[in-house]
Amino acid sequence: MLRVEGLTIRSEDRLLVSDVSFALEEGRITCLIGQSGCGKSSVVKWLSGVLPDGLVAEGAAHLDDERLSLPTPAVAYQPQQDSLFPWLTIGENAALGLEVRGMSRSEARARVLPLLEAFGLGGQAARFPRELSGGMRQRAAFLRTIVQPGRFLLLDEPFSALDAVTRLGMQTWLCDRLRETPRGVLMVTHDLYEATQLADRVLVMAARPGRIVADIPITPPRAARTEANLAEIRTVLRSLLMEEMT
Amino acid sequence: MPFIRHAIPTLLIAAVLLLAWQGYCRLAEVSPLVLPAPSDVLAALWTDRARLALHLLATVKVTLIGFSLSVVFAFVTSVVLHFTPWLRRGAMPLLVASQTIPIVALAPLMVLWFGFGLLPKVLLVILVTFFPMLLSLLSGYGRLPAAYRDQLISMGAGRLTVFRRATLPVARPLFLAGLRISATYAVVATIFAEYAGARQGLGIYILSAKNNFRADLVLAAVAVSAALTLLLLGLLQVADRLTGRRFRGGDDVAG
Repeated sequence: MLRVEGLTIRSEDRLLVSDVSFALEEGRITCLIGQSGCGKSSVVKWLSGVLPDGLVAEGAAHLDDERLSLPTPAVAYQPQQDSLFPWLTIGENAALGLEVRGMSRSEARARVLPLLEAFGLGGQAARFPRELSGGMRQRAAFLRTIVQPGRFLLLDEPFSALDAVTRLGMQTWLCDRLRETPRGVLMVTHDLYEATQLADRVLVMAARPGRIVADIPITPPRAARTEANLAEIRTVLRSLLMEEMT
Repeated sequence: MPFIRHAIPTLLIAAVLLLAWQGYCRLAEVSPLVLPAPSDVLAALWTDRARLALHLLATVKVTLIGFSLSVVFAFVTSVVLHFTPWLRRGAMPLLVASQTIPIVALAPLMVLWFGFGLLPKVLLVILVTFFPMLLSLLSGYGRLPAAYRDQLISMGAGRLTVFRRATLPVARPLFLAGLRISATYAVVATIFAEYAGARQGLGIYILSAKNNFRADLVLAAVAVSAALTLLLLGLLQVADRLTGRRFRGGDDVAG
């Protein structure tokens, strides 16, 4: 289990996130929702070890009761945009995390290439990101994230740049991949439908300063989720978010 | 071929200009001592080709040594400044201000300090070409998208890995632009250095042709130096083509 305790993030003149604590369990998806600017991305960036310059954080992350020094190999981070390096091929991009973590180039490629097929990227290893569709790029970015050894994945609005149809397809696809390779996931999203469809748990953040105001479990099994049995949860989440905006 | 399609209008304009020049010299009966016709320049170039080639070789030698050393110095300096932010902050205004100094005007000083050998000429080429390249490199490093850096840091990359894997590739287009500007300056700087004092080189050739009232030879040497610059630019283009397949196709989303 990965626990974040008492996370407070400040800029020079503003308190951005105040005393945020939560835990991520392996094999479960936790969605973090909240209005724009409430500090969701700052929380994820802190946990990824890439808090922007000018922000100062207090708080601790523990993995199985051991305090983590960030960035840590225990978590793999996927930023909002796919940020595939345009000068690397899809195969090279996918292997990047392994190489940076010290694996030899040939070993990293050998680990990644057989996975391309399962990620819908068969035959694309030698192509460049600019030659691929948005959905394919997102899958390549996800492959780059998931092949890293971390037991937890931090996904910052991974589908926000995709069109509605591709997005739906990618959500189902993500659940399938996570079933094959279970990880603890913290996913930032703006989308209530996405959150309730994918998550085992939804954390609701309020703004000024950013803090967690609700921790709502999504109990229906993922395969059995329908508009009807999620309607009540969505209503609760919507009212929580609207409350924060007024 | 797209290259030929693009080149045709340029070649046509050049041909028209040369024909106009030729026609003016012939019809207005301009003295060849003042303005020789292109055909006279070409004839002079051919007649004096052996001597011209000797001087060209000397210029090529200085240009290539100076330019190569300058590339190495600029790269090393850029890396030092990149990894030493306080030094970069302190040096940047001076580097930008240094662009206002007409460095070629220092050529006589170089000769005064270092004599007539290779050193003063190479030093001048380095001085002239170093700053544009350094500034291009530093600007290129500054273009690294935060998303690329964050991605690598979250993977556990240190500053050196971020530099090698993302900063350098991102800086490549600006570095190449700096190289092209500097390559052009390199030939000009060499000729200036030779004006100030040399035994061989296109600069000294032009000076001696001028002293003999041989405008045709002056223009022949100018044409040769222009061809040398074009050759350098062409070589850079070829190097870019050979090494840059993965960098072509326009900028990608910067994360």
